[in-house]
Amino acid sequence: MSDLKRIMKVAARIRKERLSGIRLKIMLPILLLFLPGMAWGFSDPNIVLPGGHQPDTAMEVLFYASLGVVFGATMCAVLMAFDGVSKDRASGMLEVRLAQPMPRQHQATALILGHAQSILVPVYALLLASVLVVQVRTGQWPTLTELLVYALSTGLVVFWYTLFALLASTSAREQGTAIAFGIGVWFFFTFLWALVTTMVAYASGVAVGEANDPAWVALEGMLDLLSPNGVYHHLLETQLPTVDRGVHAWQSWLAALLWTVLPWWALHRRMERLVP
Amino acid sequence: MGLVMAEPVLSFQSVQHRHAIPAPSLFKPWAKRAGPGIVGLSLDLYEGSVLGLIGPNGAGKTTLLRMMAGVLPVQEGSIEGRFDGQGWQPVDDLRQWVGHMPEQVRWQGRTTVYEALSQLGEMRGTSETKIQRLLALVGLRSRKDEALDNLSQGMRQRLSIAAALLGSPKVLLLDEPFNGLDPVAAEAFAALVRTLASKGVSVVISSHMVAQLEGLIDRIGLLHRGQLLDEGPLEDVERRLGLEGRYIITGKGEADALSFAPAEDVLEHHQDDDGWTLTVKQDPQSVLSAAMMAEANLTSWAPVRPNLVEWLCAATGMSVDDISLEVASSAMLPMRSVEVSEDE
Repeated sequence: MSDLKRIMKVAARIRKERLSGIRLKIMLPILLLFLPGMAWGFSDPNIVLPGGHQPDTAMEVLFYASLGVVFGATMCAVLMAFDGVSKDRASGMLEVRLAQPMPRQHQATALILGHAQSILVPVYALLLASVLVVQVRTGQWPTLTELLVYALSTGLVVFWYTLFALLASTSAREQGTAIAFGIGVWFFFTFLWALVTTMVAYASGVAVGEANDPAWVALEGMLDLLSPNGVYHHLLETQLPTVDRGVHAWQSWLAALLWTVLPWWALHRRMERLVP
Repeated sequence: MGLVMAEPVLSFQSVQHRHAIPAPSLFKPWAKRAGPGIVGLSLDLYEGSVLGLIGPNGAGKTTLLRMMAGVLPVQEGSIEGRFDGQGWQPVDDLRQWVGHMPEQVRWQGRTTVYEALSQLGEMRGTSETKIQRLLALVGLRSRKDEALDNLSQGMRQRLSIAAALLGSPKVLLLDEPFNGLDPVAAEAFAALVRTLASKGVSVVISSHMVAQLEGLIDRIGLLHRGQLLDEGPLEDVERRLGLEGRYIITGKGEADALSFAPAEDVLEHHQDDDGWTLTVKQDPQSVLSAAMMAEANLTSWAPVRPNLVEWLCAATGMSVDDISLEVASSAMLPMRSVEVSEDE
């Protein structure tokens, strides 16, 4: 059996275990509410957003509905993966797995792919449902490019949070620490990042929250590159010609690449040094 | 167990693994230094032999087994193997050749026995036929569709050993395998170990209960504070440490048992309403003669093996009290003075 095939088999086993677990059944209503539910709400023909804005295109609706991804899907990714390593460590299974002649790098890859797939399967299914909801409600389809960028960037943000949770799981000696770290990171980037942005703006002498102030827009745009949620929205904004926050598309994709590669590398490094 | 002096298959030369322990300082808050572990250990493992690795809690048994299993890295020293009938070769990945059964794996969940083993088999590329054979070998074939949650402790231990045997290992490491087993399960487990050894597998069993290994092991290794104090065939080590030829003699009623042997040969004497017990370290013939001359009512005499503390006392030259304190305070520092490297 080739190395790749072995990795995919182990990943498939993790995916199967997670998809058939009770945790996903608990999270499904949350995902339903946050993904197609948001798409339903934002595709209302009579909706008027703050500032009197009305979404015109299917991609705009999906962009606003991406709030559901940030709030719901990323949290579910954390909840799905937080015990990816710590559970096996507590039960003694980690030692059994590490004693197998499969290289640790390969085990780490299988772990990442298995957990990412287990959350991406329901997320992609519900994203498809969201696109259908938008089409039914607005009569518009997103273009193929818009759809690809939407799917890819959503997959990436969910993948990043999976990596964070697994990284925490390798360091945590007990489940509580792992979940606290995972949820803490999610909470920080989802809720507290605005506070960080505000503080940096205040310290830089930029007027806070002035949507029409180019200095504020540029600062917020740059700071968002340091947050996975911010990068996610930058990626989506590459398909919204009306939005310009002073960040080029290549910068967004570069940030996305770094948010993928760095935690991936850190997790592989952790796995290499992991002690049961 | 018949003593078969086979060839060594795996050789560890001056290997070391010391755990990194936090040593924060003002400018290096995350600094670590080398703590306890295994220091300068050399050991050969023989084909078809069962090595009992004994030592108190904290001696480094689990660390050594993890290192031998390839789970912990060997920081210093070298490892050579002779597995394929050719000469000695450096071993890069021990996991290809070694099966490891950790202490207490909590097999749990709704997964079946067969599925659990298959999942691990995927990591080695083990065939389904092999898994079926392993289940039969450990006596779990009839339970292969049982959920892990429904297994008894003995069955879980059997599953652990099946997992350790997945890659047809030349060396099998068992970490405290008798923990939690009732006498019947322990005997069945010992029989399984004997079967594996008879097939040429080199087995290493760690335990802090010497009595559990009685009749099972043919070699013994004494581990204390991360160092192998002595190792070899049981009788040889006993002889080297002056622990051979111990007998326990019992009798009914009252007797001046202390007069049956010279005082320096009496290890233990006990007298109560039921009778007396005398443990001596010499040929029992003269003691038995003396007892019969004194018309004592003898009931039994039998050879007796030293216990863990006696082994350690003999190997270290420390007193029982000192050893007890050492055991209680764990093995935070190695016995020999070794260089402690910073930031390891």
